[in-house]
Amino acid sequence: MDNDVRTMLLDQATRLLEAEVDQSRLKTLLEAPGSFDRALWEKAVELGWPAIAIPELGGGLGLDLESLTPLLQELGQRTVSLPLVSGYVTAMALLDNGVAADVVAALASGEAIAALAFGEAGDCGLMPAAKFANGKITGAKAPAAFAAVADHALVTALDGDTPGLYLVALGGAGVERDVLEVIDNARAAAGLRLAGAPATPVVTGWAAVLRTAGIAATLTAFEQVGGSERCLKISVEYAKERKVFGQPIGAFQAIKHKLADMYQEVEIGRGCAIDALESLVAGQSDFLSLACTARLGAGASYDFCARECIQTHGGIGVTWEAEPQHHYRRARSLALELGGAPFWRDLLVDGQRVLETV
Amino acid sequence: MTDTMTKPVESLSEYVDRARAWLAALEPRFGAEARKGLSVEQDLALAREYQTLKSEAGYACITLPREIGGGGGTELHKILFTQEESKYDYPTVYFGVSLGMPVPMMLRYADQETIQRLIPPSIRGELIWAQLFSEPAAGSDLAALRTRAVRDGDGWRIDGQKLWTSWAQFADYAIGVFRTDPTVAKHAGLTFFWLDMKSPGITVKEVRKLAGKTSEINEVFFDNVYVPDSQRMGEVGAGFRVAIETLMIERYSVTDENMGGPSLYDVAKFAANARINGRPALDDGQVRHALADALVERQGLRSIHRRALNAMAAGEEPGPEGSIRKLRLARRRQIIAELSLDLLGAQGIALDPEVSRAQDAAWSWIEIPGGRIAGGTDEILRNTIAEKVLGLPQDYRPDKKVPFNQIG
Ligand SMILES: Cc1cc2nc3c(=O)[nH]c(=O)nc-3n(C[C@H](O)[C@H](O)[C@H](O)COP(=O)(O)OP(=O)(O)OC[C@H]3O[C@@H](n4cnc5c(N)ncnc54)[C@H](O)[C@@H]3O)c2cc1C
Repeated sequence: MDNDVRTMLLDQATRLLEAEVDQSRLKTLLEAPGSFDRALWEKAVELGWPAIAIPELGGGLGLDLESLTPLLQELGQRTVSLPLVSGYVTAMALLDNGVAADVVAALASGEAIAALAFGEAGDCGLMPAAKFANGKITGAKAPAAFAAVADHALVTALDGDTPGLYLVALGGAGVERDVLEVIDNARAAAGLRLAGAPATPVVTGWAAVLRTAGIAATLTAFEQVGGSERCLKISVEYAKERKVFGQPIGAFQAIKHKLADMYQEVEIGRGCAIDALESLVAGQSDFLSLACTARLGAGASYDFCARECIQTHGGIGVTWEAEPQHHYRRARSLALELGGAPFWRDLLVDGQRVLETV
Repeated sequence: MTDTMTKPVESLSEYVDRARAWLAALEPRFGAEARKGLSVEQDLALAREYQTLKSEAGYACITLPREIGGGGGTELHKILFTQEESKYDYPTVYFGVSLGMPVPMMLRYADQETIQRLIPPSIRGELIWAQLFSEPAAGSDLAALRTRAVRDGDGWRIDGQKLWTSWAQFADYAIGVFRTDPTVAKHAGLTFFWLDMKSPGITVKEVRKLAGKTSEINEVFFDNVYVPDSQRMGEVGAGFRVAIETLMIERYSVTDENMGGPSLYDVAKFAANARINGRPALDDGQVRHALADALVERQGLRSIHRRALNAMAAGEEPGPEGSIRKLRLARRRQIIAELSLDLLGAQGIALDPEVSRAQDAAWSWIEIPGGRIAGGTDEILRNTIAEKVLGLPQDYRPDKKVPFNQIG
């Protein structure tokens, strides 16, 4: 049953994206900061994508996460950027903690868009410096994907010394968005300046923050796997087609080995993403460790594949017109948005956790 | 005009002190702040002013004679000056190709009259030269180029297309290699010329780059462009050899050790302020490891460089180890920029349009892929080390001996 639904969803997605998204549309989005493909998002909403994995009691379709991840992978392949991960993660955090049912419903229906504003300048990790007190948050958040267009943000802040997650209405008082030029303008990114912005507490505790970030990382890993797959695919195609010294460049071992390395990276990334998802779905206690491996594995894979995809293309690879630039930008953006790799590495091998994992 | 280069004795440390003072005084006029927000045309105009001052002070083309606007100094002076200059973000990029390869090649091949007429203004930055080698189907495999030059009276007519020509949009002159005989093997049928980029029949089209508001790369189209035979450099059919001679200058030229990106000093300073989950990044093993790797490599490359200079000073040929420089530096800049972004975390995605790659990790990162391709790709440079330095057998080259017009 679920399998049929999955196939149908993916078919629909492929058809929509095939019809709507081409290189020139993607390039237009890169031109200006804070770009968002509103028209595509509206079509995705019509097809019910925001609702897929949100439980029925939250107004969603109540399908399993395995119905959402193939779609994320497809978006990743095409470097299409839609707020599906941020919407799902925010909705689940609210739902799990019995907060703001109206917002959950609006996220499920696609009426509302959410952003995950976890990072801050000054630390590559996710421990916030922003302060929550008397129902309000004050602090600055690093540019977060979709914050330029989102209605709500799930924000990290400290209440005293305790980090937690808070829901902030971005159209409300005390919120200023800094829509600035970023590596990948198609991410609709904006920094947030919160000066006494009204905030609804969602959950407190570092463990809860990390779990939510881990869920976001796990789902994002599928976008990263999709992106890596695409880099490998177009690199292999180009290597067969481009002739140099009387042979296709794929005949040279330097290129062969490069592509074989990409393949290994893709499969390691995919393996990590699949296992983290399984652990999440099964409610296993090792989830955070596996979320770290998904984050690091899929992130490194996409960075590597995007970089070497350019290299395989030679001069064409560094042009605006060619496809590799979209991946080079997207790979780095996804690798940074939820905190830098040094933070996640640290988390993975931190004290007890590494012993449990190993 | 200060012409202290001709003073009988100036120690190297005095030379460096003088260069430092000279450079520092120009910062308000040519530094990053002064260049902020300039259009390319404005920046180029500023670059020309700076280049003229350099030429007058003996800091332009330091190893070339004073009479033509050079510095009359040694390779060592050049390195020392370049090291000091790279601490600033002065506008030098437009002359990188021009003074790097075409000007030295003209000095080797052109007649005295031409040299006197064209080279001093080139060193002052008034004239810019481009290098017309690569084509759509000929990059790594330069000898596969197709742009034809056909005899026409006492000259030649050129038809075809070049690609990736750096700064062609501003170029007054160019050196280039063209196919003069398609009936012989691909390497044998090429001839080298210099030409006026303003000749009738030349069209330049800018190719937009992956990132950045300016692009140096261009397509150059030739439609029945006339070039006098007097502008031929080397024998008819010897073009490939002359091209390789040019590329040798390119591959062994003094590249600044940061490849245009932030210096390791700046990276370390940045890391000293960065934090990983509340801890100083410099206390972190992975960061220490990455910086240590970069320092080790830099030391090795500095030593190679210094020994090459000593060899040259003694009139000897420097060792082949200089050929690893560009390969290592380009990839290192990418690794270091990626690390810096990782340490910025979520904040790292910002790409401030007003800062340059010399100051900013994100710009350094987004602009470096071209560095691993231009002037020989990483893969080609490794092949060259393997075949030319280590003497390993050459790759299989099925089209090497086939007449060019019979290659499928
Ligand atoms: C920013 C920039 C500026 C440039 N400026 C100039 C300029 O001013 N003038 C000019 O003439 N050219 C210029 N170039 C062109 C440059 O020299 C070529 O791009 C380069 O030589 C690679 O050629 P290609 O782009 O055709 O790639 P290809 O040669 O098609 O290479 C594609 C891929 O195949 C690999 N490959 C090719 N042959 C082999 C082999 N034998 N073994 C293993 N791998 C191989 C390459 O490493 C690369 O990964 C510039 C390029 C760039 C990016």
